[in-house]
This record gives sequence, structure tokens and C-alpha cells, in this order.
Amino acid sequence: MESPLATHVAFHLGPVPITTPVLTSWAIMLLLAGGGWLLTRRLVLRPGNTQAALELVVDTLERQIRDTMRTEPTPYLPLVGTLFLYIFVANWSSLVPGVEPPTGAIETDAALALIVFAAAIAFGIRVRGLGGYLRSFARPSIIMVPLNLLENITRTFSLVVRLFGNVMSGIFVIGIVLSLVGLLVPVPLMALELLTGAVQAYIFTVLAMVFIGGGIEDEAPHVAQEESNS
Amino acid sequence: MRIDWWTLGLQTVNVLVLIWLLQHFLFKPVKAVIEARRVAAGRVLEEAEADRARAQAEAATLEARRRDFAAEGEKILAEARAAATAERDALLAEARQEAARLEAEARATLGREREAMRQALEAQAGELAVTIARRLLALLPPAQVTAALLEALVQETTRLPPEARRDLAAAPEPVVVATATPLSPAEQEAWRARLRQAVGGGADFAFRHEPALIAGGELQGPHTLVRRSWRADLDRLAHALTLAPQAGDVHQLA
Repeated sequence: MESPLATHVAFHLGPVPITTPVLTSWAIMLLLAGGGWLLTRRLVLRPGNTQAALELVVDTLERQIRDTMRTEPTPYLPLVGTLFLYIFVANWSSLVPGVEPPTGAIETDAALALIVFAAAIAFGIRVRGLGGYLRSFARPSIIMVPLNLLENITRTFSLVVRLFGNVMSGIFVIGIVLSLVGLLVPVPLMALELLTGAVQAYIFTVLAMVFIGGGIEDEAPHVAQEESNS
Repeated sequence: MRIDWWTLGLQTVNVLVLIWLLQHFLFKPVKAVIEARRVAAGRVLEEAEADRARAQAEAATLEARRRDFAAEGEKILAEARAAATAERDALLAEARQEAARLEAEARATLGREREAMRQALEAQAGELAVTIARRLLALLPPAQVTAALLEALVQETTRLPPEARRDLAAAPEPVVVATATPLSPAEQEAWRARLRQAVGGGADFAFRHEPALIAGGELQGPHTLVRRSWRADLDRLAHALTLAPQAGDVHQLA
């Protein structure tokens, strides 16, 4: 019997197996990129309802980044915004019959966590320099270096496990209930799963911001001070 | 549980590609339009501020111009008042001059009329005096008066210059002696002798009666006239009354 945690290979592209989470991700990419292109084709200074909603989403993301990271949100918006939108749409893709959310596959969650891990390092080095970033591991004292290194790894794992566990557990619970009760009864659970998906998207994004912000925290108060002065 | 590394790698690439796609097709355009709106709003605010400043400057200019107009109006009004005052003064001066001229003319006219009236009154007074004198003289005996006046005529002839007396004596025609009353031949002869004695030489005299003389007589030579009659006296009196009385006339009347 195949493990319920195993990913289903849809087809092979040469030696590369293309799994359903990858296919779903491509669909989500097409949906987000195409939708973004369609919605931003005719942006005007006097926005309509759709453009106003779009601007509200982007502005809310920026405000969230500014509040969480205490810094100018522009460099972090593409990463943070994409993480939130992708995880949100991926979690809610379970609404489409026959589609399993790609975030229910641990490879997707691991990929997201790896990107956050790499981004925290990259932004930390870019903002503080390589020396400054490395010195941040020795704070508050040199004996904290092993713990800080371990923390960087464990928190990445925690990102993976948190998102994977929540989404996967939801899928399992709905599957089990569906197999036991049938129609209609799983609907409240599906609604709860939607709420859980939205909350998990928000939590993952906020934690990503916290991790990246921790890598640049020496600069953050300075930028925040400048903003408060302006 | 097994990790599919291909899926992990593809999903990593997918998310990275999606980051680029959303940055290119979603975040960048939306941020660009938000920034454009912010710039436009800032520009509109700056333009509004500039318009407000320009409007305030324009209002200040208009206020200054209004004050200038008011000052200019006051100036024009003051000039008009000054011009009106000057013109009024000029008209008053001209009116005073005209009034003075009219008054002078009226005074002159009045003086002339008064003089003419005075002369007319004096003429009437002279005529009245002559009439009164004539009526009074008519009460006196003309012969005696004539005799007295003829005596005065002789005395007057005696006081003539020698040249006049010689002219009378050498007159080719008889010298006419006009008398107010007719003389008898004896009286004529007596007076002829007296006059010949006064003139001297062989002068001849012819007597003629002229009642207009009232009393007295006149000696009428070719170049000499000696009048000693009341008619002559009244004429001198009337002339003296008509014209301004002269000291000589008064003396002659006396």
C-alpha cells in the first residue's frame, strides 16, 4: 500500500519526475502571474474597485512588513508577498475538487523554508556585511554561537513542520471523515481547513519576516528611527 | 516517509520564479502606480500651494492697486476741488471787476445825467431869472434906465483901446447905436456929441431902436461892439448860469 505521505508522480520529463505538487504549483504560478498581469495592465491614478482592492493587498503587505521588520518594506515585498500569496492560494486550492494543496507535500514546505533560510542569510549579509552577519551569531556572547547556529536550522525545520503538519493533517482529517460519513458532514471541517490555511499562510509569512528581520536587526532600529523622523 | 529531491528542487525553482513573476507583473506595477499617485498628489498639492500663494499675491496686488486707486481718486478729487475753488475765485474776481465796472459806468452815467439835469435846471433857472428880471425891469422907466446905460456905454467907449477908438472914428459907414427906447432927435444929437467926444475924430453915428435890448444900448462898429444893455447883461447872466459861473462874469454882472 502506498504511503499517504508519498507524492504522486504525474509524468516524467526525461529523467525528472513531475509530481502533482509541482503541477499544482505551476497552475498556481500561472494563476497568480496571469492574474497579476491582467489586473495590472491598465492601472490608473484614479483606481476602480478592483485596482483599489489590489492596491489594498499590496499596501497591507507593505504595512505588515514595516510593522514586523521595522524597516523599509520595498526590498522584502517580493519575497514576503509571494510567500503569503502562494501559500494562501496553495492552501485554498483544496477547494478545487481533486486537487491537493502543494503545501501538503513536505517538499514544497521544505522549499519554502529553504528560501526563507537563504533569504535571511542573504539579506543579513547585504545589510550588515559578512562580518557583521557572522558576528551576530556571537551575540550576546561567544558561547551562544553554537546555539544561534542551531537555532537557525531548527527554526527552518519548525517552519517546514508547522506548515506541513497543519495542511497535511487537515487533508487527512477531511479524507478520513469523508470516508466515514460521506457528503455534507466534512463541510464544516473544510471551512475550518480554509481558515487554517489562511492562518498558516499568515503565520508562515510573519515568521519568515521575523527570521529575516532578526538577521538585519542591528540596522532595523536605525531605519525605523529615520522613518519616525520623516 | 521519503523526500523527493526533484520535487524539492522544482518547487524551490517554482517559488523563485513566482517571486520574479509577481515582482514583475504585480508588485512593481502596483507600487509604481501608488508612487505615481503619491507624486501626482504631491504635485497637485504643490500646485495648489503655488496657486494659493499666487492668489494671495494677486489679492495683495489688487489690494495695493485698490489703495492706489483710492489715493488717486482722493488726489483727483483734491485737484478738482482746488480747480473749482480757483475757478470760483476767478469768477468772483471777474464778477467783482464787472460789478465795479458797472458801478463806475453807473456812477459816470449818473454823473452825466446829474450834470445834464443840473444844466437843464440851471438853464430853466436862467430863463426864469431873465423872465423875472424882464418883469421887474418893465416896472422901471425905460428912458431913464436907457439914459443911465447910455452914459455907461459912453464911459465904456472911453475906456476902449486907442486903436479901437480910431477904428470907430475912421469907419466909412456911420457907427450904429442901437437903443432899447426910441430917442428923440435932440437926445440923439446930444448922445452923438458925447460919443464923438469919447471916440474922438469925426466919427458919425446912426441911431436905431431895438426893443429887444430891454434897456440900454449897443455900439456896433465895423470891428468893435460895445454892449451896455440889460439884454446883454441878461445874456451874460444866462450864459453864466448855464455854464459854470466865472469870476469875470460875476465881476461883469456887478
